[in-house]
Amino acid sequence: MMTTPAPALPSRRMRAARVVLVAVGALGLALGVYVLVDTVALRRLPGVALWIGAAIVLHDAVISPLVFGLGVLTRRAGHRLAGGIIVTVQAAIVLGSLMSLLVLPAIAAQGLGPKNPTILPLDYARNLALFWLTLAVASALISVWLYLRTRRANRRPVRTQS
Amino acid sequence: MRRLMYEARAQLASPVRNPRMATVIGRLLGLAFLLCFGTGLYSHFLQQPLPWMTFPTRPAGLYQLTQGTHIVAGIACFPLLLAKLYVVFPQLFRYPPVTSFATLLERASIALFVGASLVEITIGLLNTYQWYPFPFPFKQVHFALAFVIIGSLLVHIGVKLPLIASHWRAAPTAGPEERHPVDTVAEDTAAVALAATRVSADEGMPRGRGLTGRVLSYIDAAPELPARTSRRGFLATVAVAVAAVVGLTAGQTFAPLDAVNVFGPRKKGVGQQGVPVNRTSAQAKVATAALSADWVLTLALGGTERSFSRADLAALPQTDVDLPIACVEGWSQMAAWRGVRLRDLVDAAGGSPGTDLRLISLEQRGGFRQTEMGSEYVRDPLTLVALELNGETLDLEHGYPARMIAPGRPGVLQTKWLSRIEAIDA
Repeated sequence: MMTTPAPALPSRRMRAARVVLVAVGALGLALGVYVLVDTVALRRLPGVALWIGAAIVLHDAVISPLVFGLGVLTRRAGHRLAGGIIVTVQAAIVLGSLMSLLVLPAIAAQGLGPKNPTILPLDYARNLALFWLTLAVASALISVWLYLRTRRANRRPVRTQS
Repeated sequence: MRRLMYEARAQLASPVRNPRMATVIGRLLGLAFLLCFGTGLYSHFLQQPLPWMTFPTRPAGLYQLTQGTHIVAGIACFPLLLAKLYVVFPQLFRYPPVTSFATLLERASIALFVGASLVEITIGLLNTYQWYPFPFPFKQVHFALAFVIIGSLLVHIGVKLPLIASHWRAAPTAGPEERHPVDTVAEDTAAVALAATRVSADEGMPRGRGLTGRVLSYIDAAPELPARTSRRGFLATVAVAVAAVVGLTAGQTFAPLDAVNVFGPRKKGVGQQGVPVNRTSAQAKVATAALSADWVLTLALGGTERSFSRADLAALPQTDVDLPIACVEGWSQMAAWRGVRLRDLVDAAGGSPGTDLRLISLEQRGGFRQTEMGSEYVRDPLTLVALELNGETLDLEHGYPARMIAPGRPGVLQTKWLSRIEAIDA
């Protein structure tokens, strides 16, 4: 796993590069914090901190467990099927969810009424529904193809491994 | 606690979650971040130049390209960042969580990096929808967080450099599961092999007692996917996701993708005279002044003032140019403009070549009521005081009676409802 220390020998160049990267990075970070405090009203800063904290919590405590649960459920539901089919279904769900994550705010903003009719002019709700439909059809077609391919391969005599 | 953390990491283990995958996705995400940072800085300095700065006026669609790239790369960050976080997620459950002051700093910087990155791309996306549900100003926070993110990115790369270097290239020898053709026999073998590497009962949590135990044995019973299928599936998902989020929105700036622009916040050709609008005449409260019969454009250059009515401007030699309107929010629209060359107008008003100009709009308030234009744009033959758009008299929403249009500048600097042009004394 990622906790294993790298086997690479820490050469002199590597160490120099790391020192420079961390030093320049720390400077950039400090500059960012300075610009933030300098340009944003003090009473707005708790809001920024809140959003950063909420983003971490939302990802680590909501999105990640959902994705993990999705993985377990699809693998269990598809235990008789080839891995490729499970992955295809997982990919379709992930793609649909990702696009929903991006487009639902657009639908919400559209519902609130854009400042002029050239902002958000499309029918995003319909397009999102069509996107999910396309994903369902495409993943079904790929799954059928994978299923037939696996079944055909299983009918053939077992090949010996070189 | 140690057991719990161990259990979490064991349950989250996946063939996808390895340093090589983190390097592969990390490189792409790093590239997208740097593209966003570079194009973002360019856009920032175009709008708030330092005194010594001059900018290229060619290619005329330069800003369309840089800002289009900014938004496209920013949208691509959504699947890439989520994929990167997916790959490294088990790291959250490292135990002990902190071993030294250095690891405390490192983990704190990672938390800031992740949180700031998520907020940065989210508020960027919401800004393209012109929706501001957050309790802070967009522009300043988006700008400041960019430095926080790039800074913590460099720190992160510095910390992980040996790991990145050793996984920069794929391992030269294929793992044992790579050598089998995809058939169910090989998959079963791989699944058994993987299952064998899972938590043994004495290391992890006890099974079958209480709710936790039952949930864990339920998860244990879920069959594993073959490692190769997992990895390829993951990479294919990320690739298709990037292609989908970019492909289905980029048509708002990249004309060849216009036909599949189904999720872009703007659509080419939608708007008065086929051009989208950002700030309306109602928002700017200019209708009365702009439609008034005694409107004049006043040029204050070299100590003299001269005023031009719309008829005076129309009587001067007219020039046709094709230039895009390219907005900070990532959309752009090519259009045909007709009007007076700015440099001819400056000459006619007695201005000297090489002066920077201050452009003042009829609007009474608004951040871009008064903007500055460097002499490189003033002297450019493509820069017009435009009177017509796409063959018609300029619509009020597009800046009637006269607006500025120059190559390679953001839309907010293409001042609409022009009222006054002044030389900036050096």
